[in-house]
Formats: sequence, structure tokens, C-alpha cells
Amino acid sequence: MAARRVALKAIDWVAFAERVPPNQRSNFNALKTRSDAISAKLTSLPETPAPIDWSYYRTAVAKPGMVDEFEKKFKGLKIPEPIDTQTSVINAQEAEATKSAMAYIEESKVRIAEYEKELLKFKNMVPFDQMTLEDYYEAFPETKLDKVKYPYWPHKPIADL
Amino acid sequence: MMSRLVILSANSLKGSGPFGAGLVHASRSLHTSSQSRAPVPPLPETGGKVRHGIFPEEIFQLLYPKTGVTGPYMLGTGLITYLLSKELYVINNETLSAICIFSVIIYGVKKFGPSVAAFADKLNEEKLAKAQEVKDLAMSGLTQAIENEKKEQWRVEGRAMLFDAKRNNVAMLLETNYRERLHMVTNEIKRRLDYQIALQHLNRRLEQEHMINWVEKSVIGSITPQQEKESIAKCIADLKMLAKNTQAKATV
Repeated sequence: MAARRVALKAIDWVAFAERVPPNQRSNFNALKTRSDAISAKLTSLPETPAPIDWSYYRTAVAKPGMVDEFEKKFKGLKIPEPIDTQTSVINAQEAEATKSAMAYIEESKVRIAEYEKELLKFKNMVPFDQMTLEDYYEAFPETKLDKVKYPYWPHKPIADL
Repeated sequence: MMSRLVILSANSLKGSGPFGAGLVHASRSLHTSSQSRAPVPPLPETGGKVRHGIFPEEIFQLLYPKTGVTGPYMLGTGLITYLLSKELYVINNETLSAICIFSVIIYGVKKFGPSVAAFADKLNEEKLAKAQEVKDLAMSGLTQAIENEKKEQWRVEGRAMLFDAKRNNVAMLLETNYRERLHMVTNEIKRRLDYQIALQHLNRRLEQEHMINWVEKSVIGSITPQQEKESIAKCIADLKMLAKNTQAKATV
């Protein structure tokens, strides 16, 4: 019976709350209230029930052997522990979440690499007051005027002016 | 040389971008095949130094060792005198118009040059500032995005806590259930034993009451009419005696 108590891991709700992204905060609150309700219910129940006073019953009950029979059966009774069906489900969920988290982290790393590349490009750019038009077109290729497609000034469709 | 004149009079000119575009553009298009990819050094901020607006300083420096400070002036004076006296340059009506035009031009440039230059500079500055702003925004946006991504990664690391919480919940529920079972068993046994005891008490009470009723009934039934008459007569006699005694006591 006491071995079950050890299975409970101490959860730091404050640190947990920090890591929750804002769009999942309501889920987190629901989980917390549920957990609190369950733990309150657990602590309200004493661990072992009050022991039965067999000697009193032996003197009080007139039927001989009844109390002894009850006592024997009670002592020999082993209450089965409830079966745990959910832990395996939770473990499976955790494995899946780990997998998707790894994938997300990989994507995130790719995104970070892209951002850093762009940042590097900006950092290494020639400062504007020393730039020539050619440098400008190199740094921002989208501003380059297409002299082949629009050979006449202003080298871009009038609507884009 | 003309560029030096303009640059000198507008001596607050800072942005050499547009000029640079033309000059460097031309020089780059000349080197078509053997292009040196070295970055071009930035253009100088001001043009070459000139004296009196047109004569480059280099001439003065050149002649200084030989003829001192007044050398180039003497050279200029001598040249002008030579041209005029030999009539290599003829003074006619064109000279007067040249003098008038040039004096007006010089006056205009000297008076309005700096303000025009400042205005042109302001235009350029605005363009640069806008571009710089765009660049700064882009950079700060990127750094912010990187920060956010890192934060999200940190958040993802906390997912183990969620599953710990869930497992804890499950364990707590199981424990609660188990304890409830224990309590239920004990309570049931107690209830049954207490029921037996209560049953016994009830039986005993019923027996007692029944016995009492039966004894009373039998006693009352055993009083025969003969005995009843005798007991009533005895009671009356007793009462008479008691009355006599009381009367005797009262009179005494």
C-alpha cells in the first residue's frame, strides 16, 4: 500500500506554468484544477481504515463462531489493487509527443538558420552612404530594374511607380 | 575641374552617392574582362583643394620649393600680361559680357550655393534614413524571430511535466479507489456485526416484555371470584378499623 505513494512525482506548477505558451493557457488551468481536485480527494481519505475491535464483538455477539469466522475471513482478505489501464496510454502519448516535438525543434532550427543567414547578410552589407547603385541592386535583388523586359524608362510597369 | 568648382562652393556636400554612381559605374564598365573583385574604396568626402575656385592647390605646392609663396601668383600675373600685351587675347565686347556673366554666376553660387547644397543633402539624407530604417527594422525583426524560436524550443522541453502530471493524476485516482475499497470492506463488516448485536438486543427486549405481560396476565387470571370477595371484605374491615382509629385519635 505504501509503495503506491512513491509513484507520485513532485510537480513544480510554477515552472510548468512558465513553459505553457499563451494559447494553451486555458488547457493548463483546466488540468491544474483537475489535479488539485484529485489530490484534495486523496488527502481527505485516511490511508488505512480504523481497526475493528474484535474482542468487543466477541463478547457482544451471542452467536458463537460468527465473530471468529468474520475475523478469519477479514484477515485473510486481500483487496485487489485497481488495474492501471491509462499509464501505458499516457506513455504512448508521451512518446508521440516527443517525436513531434523533435520534428518541431528540427524545423525551428532550420528556421533559425534561415533567419541567421539573412541577419548575416544585413550585417555584412555595405553601409548605405558608401553604397553604389550596383551594390544596392546586389543587396536587394528585387529592386533591380529589368531593362530587357521593359527597355524604356522607367523600366517597370507604370502601376508599380 | 568643373566638378571641383561645384564641390568647393557647396562645401557642405556630404553624400557622394549619386556622383559616385556615375563615376564608379563608368569605371566598372570599362574593366569588362579582368575584373578585380576587390571592394572599391569609398569616394573622398570633399574634392581636391583649390584656390580661388579654379586653381588646384597642387600647382602652388609644386612651385613652392622654387619660387616660394608668391610664385604662382607671379606666374599668373605674367601670363595675363603676356596675353594682353601681345594681343593673343583681344579685349572686345565679348570680354565685357564675359565679365558680367561670370561675376553674376560667381555671386549667385557664393550666395546660394550652401543652402542649395544643404537642401540636396537633406533629400539624400532622407532617402538614406528611410533605407536605414527599413534595414534596422528587418534586422530587429529577424533577431526577434530568432529569440521567439529559441523560446519555443525551451517551451517544448517542458512537455515532460505535462505527462508527469497526467501520470500523477492516474496514480492518485487509483490510490483513492483502493482506499475507498478498504474503507468499504471495513464498514460492511462493522455494519453486519452491529446488525447482529442490534438483533440480539431486540430479541432480548421482546422476550422481556412478553414475559412481563404473560406474568401479569397469569397473576390477574389467578385471582378467583372467591378470593376477590374475601379480599374486598378484608379491605372494608381494615378501612373500618382505620376509620375508628382515626376517630379515636381525633377525639383525643
